[in-house]
Amino acid sequence: MHDRLDHHGMNDMNDEASLAAALRALPANAPPQEAWRNIAARIGRRRTVRRTVWFTLPAAFAAGIALTFAWPHLHLRAPSPPPARVAQTPSTAKPDTRPIPDVAALQASSAQWQNWVQNLSHNGGPLDGRALASAVALQDRIGMVDLQLSAAARDPAAAASLWQQRITLLQQLGLLHLQPYLVAEQTHPAPNHVISM
Amino acid sequence: MDPHSNFQQHVEPETIARLKRGDLSAFESVYRQFERAAWTLALRLTGRADVAQEVLQDAMLKAFERARQYRGDAPFAAWLRKLVVNESLMQLRHDRLHVIEVLDDKLGDDSAPQPWTSADATTLDRALNRLPDDARAVLWLYHVEGFTHVEIAREFGRSVSFSKSQLARATKRLRELLAPKVEDTPCTIGSTTTA
Repeated sequence: MHDRLDHHGMNDMNDEASLAAALRALPANAPPQEAWRNIAARIGRRRTVRRTVWFTLPAAFAAGIALTFAWPHLHLRAPSPPPARVAQTPSTAKPDTRPIPDVAALQASSAQWQNWVQNLSHNGGPLDGRALASAVALQDRIGMVDLQLSAAARDPAAAASLWQQRITLLQQLGLLHLQPYLVAEQTHPAPNHVISM
Repeated sequence: MDPHSNFQQHVEPETIARLKRGDLSAFESVYRQFERAAWTLALRLTGRADVAQEVLQDAMLKAFERARQYRGDAPFAAWLRKLVVNESLMQLRHDRLHVIEVLDDKLGDDSAPQPWTSADATTLDRALNRLPDDARAVLWLYHVEGFTHVEIAREFGRSVSFSKSQLARATKRLRELLAPKVEDTPCTIGSTTTA
């Protein structure tokens, strides 16, 4: 407390002492009853999410990698020509060999990623400002893809490309929600948050 | 740490070790030990029960999740108190919505007696809550928690003179708020009415 003595006269010191005594004499208050319940509940939720994340993260990455490798096969799977088309095509015309992508598989995968993201978003903590802005931007882009998908119903190749875009965006969104947990698990936190004594 | 601080309490090393391992029951015992100190500090610094509740939760959660960062160089209570102070001041910075009064340097009389010596707890409590946030926080950190001006300046990210001037102003304002009101009675001497 050296800086308490450097510029004060005796009166000021008496003032300080009496004010300090008066303030310290104020009774300490008890927090609301529900405070502990709320804290314990938040810990419980965070633990659940963290467990889920650490179980699903490897699976999510594996699924992403698998999808990357599987994508050309999904995209280039040999089609069985629709009977009606064959019937309408003259015998001299070349058969349409363009691959028809497996839109249904991509659609199912997109739904799985979306569930995963929703779970993370629902159970996780709030995003910081920067991450929140990125999440909103990603959600906007997903919305745009959904709009384009509704217009691409008759073009399987375009639809497949859009579903793939949607999956990629969902993966990015999921990673955004995972970031707080990845940071929290690090041994050395960000310098401005370090409180060590 | 100031011996008068409510945080001046010892935590068993075994409890800290369990807390570092993520033991929820150890955390609850730490919480119970410090809930009043943490709540009172948060309430005094922020001036609002709803904000103080948020501060209490966030600070305690950080204590639980960052317990592994506590190295033991200082008492655990001081580490915990720092979390509460940081959260409170962060809330003050982000939520500057309830500045009740602007301090006026020209008002007040430093030579007046010490009205806080005769004020009851309710009156003093009410007067404290009428101080602007920064002034109240500086006053409390200085007088009750025993922070130096240098430490307060560091916590606020401001200069030492900021801390000193806030303290002086807060003291002056508190003196005014607690001073007994002198009724302005009209002077009737010599004011005879003529019929």
